[in-house]
Amino acid sequence: MPTIRFSTSDREVEFADGDEVNLLRVAIRNDCGIPFKCASGNCGTDRVRVEAGADHCSTPRRRERERLGELFDQGYRLACQTYVNGDVTVAWDPEQIGLDAGSKVYDKLRQVWLAKDDGG
Amino acid sequence: MAELLSKPAFREALEDAIKGREAKNASFSQAWANGELSREHFARWAENHYHYVGPFADYLGYIYSNTPDTATDAKDFLLQNMYEEELSDVRHTDLLIRFAEACGTTRERVMDVDNATAVTRGLQGWCYAISMREHFAVATAALVVGLESQVPSIYRRQYPVLIEKYGFTEEEAEFFDLHITSDEIHGERGYQIVLEHATTPELQARCLQLVRHGAEARFSYTKALYDTYVSPEPAVANPAPALA
Ligand code: FES
Repeated sequence: MPTIRFSTSDREVEFADGDEVNLLRVAIRNDCGIPFKCASGNCGTDRVRVEAGADHCSTPRRRERERLGELFDQGYRLACQTYVNGDVTVAWDPEQIGLDAGSKVYDKLRQVWLAKDDGG
Repeated sequence: MAELLSKPAFREALEDAIKGREAKNASFSQAWANGELSREHFARWAENHYHYVGPFADYLGYIYSNTPDTATDAKDFLLQNMYEEELSDVRHTDLLIRFAEACGTTRERVMDVDNATAVTRGLQGWCYAISMREHFAVATAALVVGLESQVPSIYRRQYPVLIEKYGFTEEEAEFFDLHITSDEIHGERGYQIVLEHATTPELQARCLQLVRHGAEARFSYTKALYDTYVSPEPAVANPAPALA
C-alpha cells in the first residue's frame, strides 16, 4: 500500500492502492500535525517540503502556483491543494505561519477596513 | 436502547449513510461528467445552485448561534468556514455568478429565486430548518457531512470536463476548482466535530438520520435539474377533465 510519511511529526499513513488522497485531509484525519488555516490555497500556512515522491503529487493548479511563487521551485507544495497517488515524504516547520504579508487576503481586509475609515 | 457507537464505528456509519445516495451518481451529474450537457444547461444549474449554496454562511451562522461556548473547535470551524465563503478572497457566490455569466445568463437571473425549481427551494428550506432547529453536532452532520463533504467527488469529475471539453478558462471555472480542495478539508473537519460532540446514542442516531436525509435531498435536487432542463416530461396537451 502507498504510504505518506510525515517526517516532521514522525508519522506514517497508508492508503489504498489506486486511491488519490488529499494530503491535508489525510494529515487532519490522522493527527499528523501539518498546520493549516484556509484550506483554499490562499494563506500558505500548510506549505510542506516534498522530500521524496514529488512524482506522486498532483500537478499544481493556478492558485497554488501563485501562492507559493518561488517556493514551488524549491520543492514546496500546499498540502490542502495537493493530491497524492503513491509514496510521498513531506516535512514542514512546526512553527510556520501563513505567507500572508502582502497577500490578497490582507489586501482585501485592508480595503474593507480602510473603506470603513473613509466613511468616518 | 441503542448503545453509543465508538468513534470509528460511528464514522463508518456516517459514511454508509451517504452510500447509494451520492449526488455524483444523479442523472444531471452523470450527464455533466460525460460531456452531454450544453452551456444552457450549466446556466440553469447555476441559477439553481445559487439558491442552495448562496445562503451557506447564513446556515452556518444559525448553527453557530446554537453552539455552546465550550465547543471552541466547532465554533472556530464554523467561523472559518463562513469567512472563507464570504470574505477571504472573492466571495464564493460571486465565483458562481462569474461562471453563470460565462454560460450566457445574468446576475439578475441567477439571483431571482423564481428561476429555481421547487426542489431547489425545498433544499434551501431544509438547510435553514436544520441549521436553526437542530443540535449543532446534528446540523453539522446534516449540512457539512451529508451535503458539503460530497462536493469534491462531484466536482473532481465535472471540472476537467468544463476546461477540456467546453473550453471554459480556469478563471471562469474557479468556483469548482476552489471547492474541490476546500470542501475536502471542511468535510474532514465536519466529521471530526460530529464525532467529538455527538456524545449520546440519541444524538448519534439523529446525525445518521439527517446525513441520510441530506444525501437524499442533494440527490433529488440534482436529479430534478435533469428532469426539468435536460429531459422534461412531455407537456400534457389535453389534460383529462377534472372529475365532478
Ligand atoms: S491551508 Fe491555507 S493555503 Fe492551504
